[in-house]
Amino acid sequence: MIDQSLEQLRADALAEIATAGDEGALELVRVKYLGRSGGIAAISDGMKSLSKDDKPRIGKLLNEVRNAVSAALDAGKSALLADADKAAFAGVDATLPGITQRLGTLHPITQLQDRAIQIFRRMGFALADGPDIETEFHCFDALNTPADHPARNEQDTFYFGDGRLLRTHTSTVQVRTMEKSAPPIRIIAPGAAYRRDEIDATHLAQFTQMEGLYVDEGVSVADLKGTLEFFFRELFGKDAKFRFRPHFFPFTEPSYEVDIKATALGSADRWLEIAGCGMVDPAVFESINARRNDHAFDPEKYTGFAFGFGLDRLAMIMSGVTDIRAFTDNDQRFLAQF
Amino acid sequence: MKVSLNWLRELVELPATVDALVELLTLAGVEVEGIETHGVAIPNVVVGQILESVQHPNADRLSVCQVDDGSGAPRQIVCGAKNYKVGDKVPVALPGAVLPGDFKIKVGKLRGVESQGMMCSADELGLPKGEDGLLILPAELNTGTPIADLYPGDTILDLEITPNRPDLLSVNGIAREIGALTAKPIALTVPELAAAPVSENVIEVEDIELCPLYSARTIRGVKVGPSPAWLCKKLESVGLRPINNIVDITNLVMLELGQPLHAFDAAKLTGPVQVRLAQEGEQFLALNAKTYPLNPRHLVIADSKRVLAIAGVMGGEESGVTESTETIVLESAYFQPRNIRRTSRELSLSSDSSYRFERGVDPGGVLVASQRATELIRQLAGGEAGPIETGAPVAVLETPPIGLRQERITRLLGVEVSPDRVNQILTGFGLTKSGTGWSAPSFRSDLTREVDLIEEIARVIGMEIIPARTQARFAAASATDRAYDRAMTLRAAAVAQGLHEARSLTLVPAIPLGVAFTQIAEANLQRVKNPMIDDQVVLRPNLLHGLLKAVRDNIRAGAKSIRLFEIGRVFSNRAPEEFSHFAAVVSGPISERSWRGGEGSDADLYFLKGLVTSVLGKETTFEPDSNPALALALKVNVAGKPVGFLGQLWPADARNLDATAPVLFAEVDLGAFEKALQGGGIKRFREVARFPAVTRDIALVAPLDVKHAAIEEVLRAANEPLLTHIELFDIFTDPSGVKLAVERKSLAYSLTYRSSEKTLTADEVNAAHGRLKERLQRELKLSLRE
Repeated sequence: MIDQSLEQLRADALAEIATAGDEGALELVRVKYLGRSGGIAAISDGMKSLSKDDKPRIGKLLNEVRNAVSAALDAGKSALLADADKAAFAGVDATLPGITQRLGTLHPITQLQDRAIQIFRRMGFALADGPDIETEFHCFDALNTPADHPARNEQDTFYFGDGRLLRTHTSTVQVRTMEKSAPPIRIIAPGAAYRRDEIDATHLAQFTQMEGLYVDEGVSVADLKGTLEFFFRELFGKDAKFRFRPHFFPFTEPSYEVDIKATALGSADRWLEIAGCGMVDPAVFESINARRNDHAFDPEKYTGFAFGFGLDRLAMIMSGVTDIRAFTDNDQRFLAQF
Repeated sequence: MKVSLNWLRELVELPATVDALVELLTLAGVEVEGIETHGVAIPNVVVGQILESVQHPNADRLSVCQVDDGSGAPRQIVCGAKNYKVGDKVPVALPGAVLPGDFKIKVGKLRGVESQGMMCSADELGLPKGEDGLLILPAELNTGTPIADLYPGDTILDLEITPNRPDLLSVNGIAREIGALTAKPIALTVPELAAAPVSENVIEVEDIELCPLYSARTIRGVKVGPSPAWLCKKLESVGLRPINNIVDITNLVMLELGQPLHAFDAAKLTGPVQVRLAQEGEQFLALNAKTYPLNPRHLVIADSKRVLAIAGVMGGEESGVTESTETIVLESAYFQPRNIRRTSRELSLSSDSSYRFERGVDPGGVLVASQRATELIRQLAGGEAGPIETGAPVAVLETPPIGLRQERITRLLGVEVSPDRVNQILTGFGLTKSGTGWSAPSFRSDLTREVDLIEEIARVIGMEIIPARTQARFAAASATDRAYDRAMTLRAAAVAQGLHEARSLTLVPAIPLGVAFTQIAEANLQRVKNPMIDDQVVLRPNLLHGLLKAVRDNIRAGAKSIRLFEIGRVFSNRAPEEFSHFAAVVSGPISERSWRGGEGSDADLYFLKGLVTSVLGKETTFEPDSNPALALALKVNVAGKPVGFLGQLWPADARNLDATAPVLFAEVDLGAFEKALQGGGIKRFREVARFPAVTRDIALVAPLDVKHAAIEEVLRAANEPLLTHIELFDIFTDPSGVKLAVERKSLAYSLTYRSSEKTLTADEVNAAHGRLKERLQRELKLSLRE
């Protein structure tokens, strides 16, 4: 009798659980059967009146029914949650655009300069620095530039009232460095240089250069070649083709200009000049010695090479920028491309 | 400098192709800037005569011509031109000819009619473009004559001669260089100089330093007239216009030997020529018909009455050779390069002559050139030449021999060059070996030191055979390295904050944009003496102008949101004159618009404060600043030390930049920043909290003028050991006065309590929190909302 009603209760409960459509309905089922005044509790209350023989059997069945209903309730609840989760994601349009964060950019000249610095650092060059406002000595005299050289003219160089000038090249840093330290010297120096050039698509009165100097015993043209070839291959790729074309600079001898085959840049098959370099002219060492009042840079003992290149020009070539003024116009649409 | 290959070929054997010659010169340091081809060097193009012309049966615009090409049998050619008449002589490209642009001529059919060649326009032959249509040739030409005979081909190279090589400013010089590089013999046109006709110390030279060698030669009874064709052609090939035989000869010798010459009409001179300095205010009418005011820095050639020429630069209009000239005075001299250069620049007057003198002519070639010109004049214009007269005695140039050590060559070039090769190279350049070393010829004044000779060897052996060697060295970081790395770290932080890096010109206008210079004393500005344009006069004293200009330009270009920073040098008259600064400028919406939400509010002071803190680091603090030029201003401190400022422009200044949103700016002196962080490079570990924190909120109602900083200061000053964090999480005002009186604001803070030793009890927290509440009420007279 009591067995029957328990079985009936189990069947009813499971049927109601199966048809409950939401968590609220499930809760009602739970209260109806498992609650304090629910069906199972009522039967449990009636246990007292059972015979000693029936008690264990009915007790066992009661537990069985309670567990079955409880498990079915849990399962029903999980199934409902899973359905709800599914429904929640069903409507998501994964093709909507992502939400972007504003990200800034480094200036293309900074990026190129940093790449160059990293390459030279791997070769054991340290950074050096000098002022933009320079003396004629550091910009010209010490670099073996004759007193009447056209570059010294006020038509070509910015001067200040006190006779100083805006450096026309970063080679001034060679002089500054040799003034205060003795060989071996192995430096690079990025920085601004100024010339009174008519402003157009390829000229600004101000541009960015990178200078290098290596002075030690036994430094030769072979080292110059090896160093610059390594640098430019790191920069342009290992298949890049170069040539060193003899040239003339007052402060180096022999002097060269470095050309790169433009095909390395995906451009037409022609040579593009990208750097000037050469072996430090002994006259430069002598004028540094005179300035230092010692013989630290004995040209019989020490040799060295120097080089310089324009970062603006390189960046123009590498990125296909056709107007140098874009680098200082600071148009965010331009800057955001790099 | 332009040089004709036909002319060069008379003197030296050239490499087989123009490309090979260009390569040879380029790799020897003579850059080829341009290549022009003149004339027609195409075989199989001949003079033809049009015998007949009829309408093409299938094409309105074409005619079918019968052409006599000199072979005897008429040739049928289909033609589209209209500018000829039957009987005209025209160039005919025969099958097999290859016209410029790799256009191969063959027998073919045009609209069904056979065409056995092509009649050509000037353009199609690579000649200067003439009238449209066929090139009509002179009627007297014989058919069959190769066109190449009428328009002989030539190639003109435009060479860039570096300033150390004035000896290459002549055909002889280039030929000599090519001969040395290719080890080929050269046949230079250098006359024998008879020693006898020189009479020294005749011409008065006032300044022997500016003019160490002056020679003049009188030639009587010359017949001035047009030059022969060969001479005209040589001059024209490099762009000089023939004038008359005398002038043309002086030009020819200049091109040939590199020595500028000048011829005066003796009849127009009063008294003997003299070389002197100009007088102040003296005027000179040059042969370009312009008058030049002279001064005593200028060296002139004069007679007893007037200036005849600006020495080495240009002759005079009134003393030049004309058709009626019978007696000439031929000048050949060496002028000090520096003075010529200065004179040329001061007068803005340059010429082929000044170009050569200012680089230095061959002192040993002065009299040779005079002799060469004299011989040509006698040959082409007749006349009787007198002796060469000079100023000072002609000094025999003695240059000390240059020592050259084999070991030094290896050391400098990094490769061994055999003594035989060295001898061959240097001998090729005209040097001679004596016991103690090498003597350079007079035209190579650039060769005075051992290293100059090694450079010559390097040029000839080329870079190819020098091995590429790499030597690494350990390099300790310099102060510049450290500063660079710190700047790159700041850059990365600024980029992470959404800022684009700007680079502005360091030269800015004397009157910059907006408020850029308001805090700068005029006396502290670095001003260039010779600016080029008004926009670039002063070295920037800060980064403001460049970034404000960028704000304006970007807004004008349609940008709504400005996010820029710059790291760069700024300048002052005060030591150390040059400083490295960081600056940022922001304006406009904080976030980007998306489908999920709008752009949010515009950047304001608090946004920039947060941004600057993110870039400079947690030790950044701000304190109020008074700068009337800014609507809002704060000092920026790092580790308690002032490093810069931050502020918002007055709306009027923002409007001047076309900005409608607030424009905010911050600038930091990186030197001061670095100093403030001294020792802060390596971060020290702090124990991570192991016991839970408890937060208690507190809501204060305060008069509008009570500052957050004052509240924070009271809380901090209480020195509650358990209080670890103060967070302002809400500010509320009610302009309607309903929820809160209009003149009040409500501030809500969350205070965090924590002990590093134990879990706090509610009582402990409540006690501390109560003390703080009481303090706020007492010290700031604030009421609390519970």
